Amino acid sequence: MNALVLDGFRGSEGQGILAVLADALAQAGYGTEILALRDKTIAPCLGCFGCWIKTPGECVIDDEGRLVARAAARCDLLVCFTPVTFGGVSSELKKAVDRLIPNISPYFARVQGETHHQRRYRRCPSLIGLGILPQPDREAEAIFKTLVEHNALNWRSPRIAAAVVALDGTSDVGAIARGLIEAVAQ
Amino acid sequence: MNEKKALLLVGSPRGIDRSTSGRLGGRLLDALKERGVETDKLHVHAVARSPDALASALAAVAAADLVVLSLPLYVDSFPAPVIAFLEKVAERRTGGMADAAHGRAGRAGLFLLIQCGFPESEQNATALAIAERFAAEVGWRWLGGLAFGSMQSSGASATEALARGAEAIAEGKPIPEIALKKAMPAWLYRFGGNIMWRREAKKNGVAGRLRDRPYED
Repeated sequence: MNALVLDGFRGSEGQGILAVLADALAQAGYGTEILALRDKTIAPCLGCFGCWIKTPGECVIDDEGRLVARAAARCDLLVCFTPVTFGGVSSELKKAVDRLIPNISPYFARVQGETHHQRRYRRCPSLIGLGILPQPDREAEAIFKTLVEHNALNWRSPRIAAAVVALDGTSDVGAIARGLIEAVAQ
Repeated sequence: MNEKKALLLVGSPRGIDRSTSGRLGGRLLDALKERGVETDKLHVHAVARSPDALASALAAVAAADLVVLSLPLYVDSFPAPVIAFLEKVAERRTGGMADAAHGRAGRAGLFLLIQCGFPESEQNATALAIAERFAAEVGWRWLGGLAFGSMQSSGASATEALARGAEAIAEGKPIPEIALKKAMPAWLYRFGGNIMWRREAKKNGVAGRLRDRPYED
């Protein structure tokens, strides 16, 4: 099993929590690749649909966004690690997330009563969303969890878990990380 | 009248003139202009191109009484460059420059125009919540928004919604709940959309390759 962690922090603030997460993934038997997106050259999605109708399955922009999409297509577990930003994800994470569109099919499907896209690949990775906040904030946490749930619908993730950790010392980071991994266990 | 100066931020990579976001925002701005509101437009993706462009955009935001954010839904949220710009606006606020960066002592109004590529306009709900949360974090007034499903952004229903939205904004009244007419049943949209993808692929010489899996192990 392999996990891909997309680190959406602009600086090193999340590194302590990331280390705890990486340890929990290793304990659960995952080989883990961590991509610090701040170090990656990833241009914004052009909204051109080229990845569906010109070069199916690959973005028309030749930069490190392609490498992220390739790794995301091949992993068993995708972890989105981000400062919770207005209830959503950071721009650092989102620049990569927007470029994952090639990994789904343009063809539409009905999923849980809504229109979404069909899978491109035979199997899709499960999804963990781990958001970080300076202190507990129930409203921001609720928005973040809803966002991750909707992402899972769009990405056709078979299993999904989301949590928010507060940096004020009130969160048991190890227990939260282990709980997330258990929730998406095969 | 509450709002004297409105700034449209277009958050589509296709720009102001070539995007649905630009056209929708332009129509709202026209309706506001008719009511005496001074208007201006900015393409958010262009802001990241230089420090000067960013400084100028932040100054334009600072001078606005009303910010209209018009964008396509990208993966249940805003396109990345829009989030990046909003992060800069919020940093200005927490950096002790609240008054300078936020117009009338931080009380600018925010209105969201958003459209998604699915027929269900409800799929914009999370992005609306993020916009409302942003407004709360930077101390702006959240005025609400208009959320469009695919193919709902043209036609009489959208025109009426934009006109009523502009009227409410200009008069400082609550934005009315506006139910947009569905363009077509969702099943028909999916059926027609799938035909359209095949046709576009054929035009590009990749017919039969739409299900390619270039990254498969």
